[in-house]
Amino acid sequence: MNVLIVEDEKSLAHEMAAYLKSEGLICDLAFTGTDASEKIAVNLYDFVLLDLGLPDYNGTDLIQEAREAGSEASFIIITARGSVEDKVKGLDLGADDYLAKPFALVELYSRIQAVARRKFAVGNPVIRIGDFSIEMSTRKISVNSKTVELTKKEYELLLYLVLNRNKVLTRHQLYEHIWGNMLDDQYDSNFIDVHIKNVRRKLNEHAPTPWLETVRGTGYMVNPDQ
Amino acid sequence: MLRLKSKLAIFNLLSRLIFTSVFIILMPYLVERINIIQTDNELIDKREKVIDLITQIGIDPFINLNLDNEAFGSYNILKEEFISLERADLEEHWNFIEITRRIIEDEEIEYRVLNYSFEVDGLTYLLEIGKSLSSIIQTEKNIKNIIWVFLAFIILITLIADQYFTRYILYPLDRIINKLRNTSSPVLFDKKPIETTTSDFQQLDETLILLMKKMEDLLQKEKDITVNISHELMTPISILRSKLENILLQTKQDEETASRIEESLKTLHRLKTLVNSLLLIARLESKQYMKNEQVPVNEVLSEIIDEITPVAREREIVTEFLRRDEFILGNANRSLIFSMFYNVVNNAVKNSESKGKVRIKSFCDDQRHSVHISDTGRGMTEEQLKTIFMRFNKRYTSDEGGTGIGLAITKSIADFHGIDIRVDSNVHRGTDFYFLFPENS
Repeated sequence: MNVLIVEDEKSLAHEMAAYLKSEGLICDLAFTGTDASEKIAVNLYDFVLLDLGLPDYNGTDLIQEAREAGSEASFIIITARGSVEDKVKGLDLGADDYLAKPFALVELYSRIQAVARRKFAVGNPVIRIGDFSIEMSTRKISVNSKTVELTKKEYELLLYLVLNRNKVLTRHQLYEHIWGNMLDDQYDSNFIDVHIKNVRRKLNEHAPTPWLETVRGTGYMVNPDQ
Repeated sequence: MLRLKSKLAIFNLLSRLIFTSVFIILMPYLVERINIIQTDNELIDKREKVIDLITQIGIDPFINLNLDNEAFGSYNILKEEFISLERADLEEHWNFIEITRRIIEDEEIEYRVLNYSFEVDGLTYLLEIGKSLSSIIQTEKNIKNIIWVFLAFIILITLIADQYFTRYILYPLDRIINKLRNTSSPVLFDKKPIETTTSDFQQLDETLILLMKKMEDLLQKEKDITVNISHELMTPISILRSKLENILLQTKQDEETASRIEESLKTLHRLKTLVNSLLLIARLESKQYMKNEQVPVNEVLSEIIDEITPVAREREIVTEFLRRDEFILGNANRSLIFSMFYNVVNNAVKNSESKGKVRIKSFCDDQRHSVHISDTGRGMTEEQLKTIFMRFNKRYTSDEGGTGIGLAITKSIADFHGIDIRVDSNVHRGTDFYFLFPENS
């Protein structure tokens, strides 16, 4: 997938590119709105990661320009303004998703994947892990056609780990993904542990879960080879 | 402290009392003077008439020496007035008024008497015209009575008029005071100028409006600065975070370096949390959040209970939700309401010892919906209670990871929605939070 990173903070743009490249994406950088506008006109991108706070360009104009030029790129807005209203406005303008600074790189990549899944999804995608299968459209987890009852938060936690398999996710990253920014002050690493414990208990009633690993001192990881 | 109106009324009353007292002290003297002057004028008037008469008809009809008729006297039945004319041998011309006693028909009466001498055919005559003092005193009394009634009437009328006039003239001031009284923040000050014809009040009102606008601007600027600084801080935090994450993910380090990077990420997270919280409060205070949702309070509470219960159970803390009455809060922001309760419930769990109990009760009392969140935790002292809603107050929030801003956020959200919060606490017994929703919602 081709990604254009539009971000005037070069240092941040490079870090984003470095991470996304390690995930196998092809990244292009634009540090100004003019530069980005030219690149979008010339190249075909699947994704544009757009910082709204560009000094020379109104970020939202870029989306409009791209749409008018017939670009089918998905836009993910990245901004330091994290309010709900900004988010709604961004999505109204035709952006596919919205990410507030400072974000976790793994979260950025997950968002790209999620948008890609929505865009290219055919039928009902089912993810298999161990003896379990996760039906994403119905949010159902089953083993041998028996459904495992998980709460909403437990399901989201498990899905996030499964989608980012083979990656160690810190408690922070998990917490941030599930609870968002709203409750930041209440961050409590214990929360994630308790929820993981409950997920394990519920899954283990049906089948063993050696693939759900605890990484000592850091967090959790789904390792499908186990 | 007295109201301006009362002060003016008191001043008016006092000034009138002083004026009246002076008048009452001076009145007998004045009335007497007026009366005497009046009487004397009358006497002189009568003298002129008598002299005119004598000039016309001669003295003979009154005094005829040949007929041995040496004196003439006349008085009315009640002896209030008399006129006498007689021959007199005087060394000088008489023309004066005096008070003397006269005996008329065995009755001694005090008179004011005009004595006047004149010559006819080389003979000197004395004319006396008198008016009894009792009749003069009677007139005095009458005048006094009229003045008394008039004075009382004038005082009463002017007092009432004063009262109405001061009330009328001070009405704009009352309105300005009311405007100020109804203003809890400069934003809420009624900036429509009051109607008045008094330039002082107009100036006062204009100055206040100007001042309030300035304060509003300053407060807004302060909030804008907070918002802008917060935004500016997010980009550098984001850069640091991405760099640290990349180092952690893409290079091989020993365990110690990795855990140090982890620590740095946690610190960064704390920084982000602080900035976000300040931003949230600044936005709440400048009313930048939408309030366009109908929020079923019990649903939000039960969501919170669902989330907290697993963590509480882990620490052997019982959670309980008494859902007495249903309540829907109009014109609200659901995620803010969620945070408001969540911070308190989460604190309650964090501050409870094992085997403790956290209870939420949602009920309607006296037309007003309340949510009562109680715990059996450590509790707080009176001193701690006073500062729980202040930013960065660490005494109540837990030591692990909290920034001490959670309850400040709760308070800001409650204020934003017009919800009252009351807190009771006893050390070692626990804490009670009461959320009282506005009556009309």
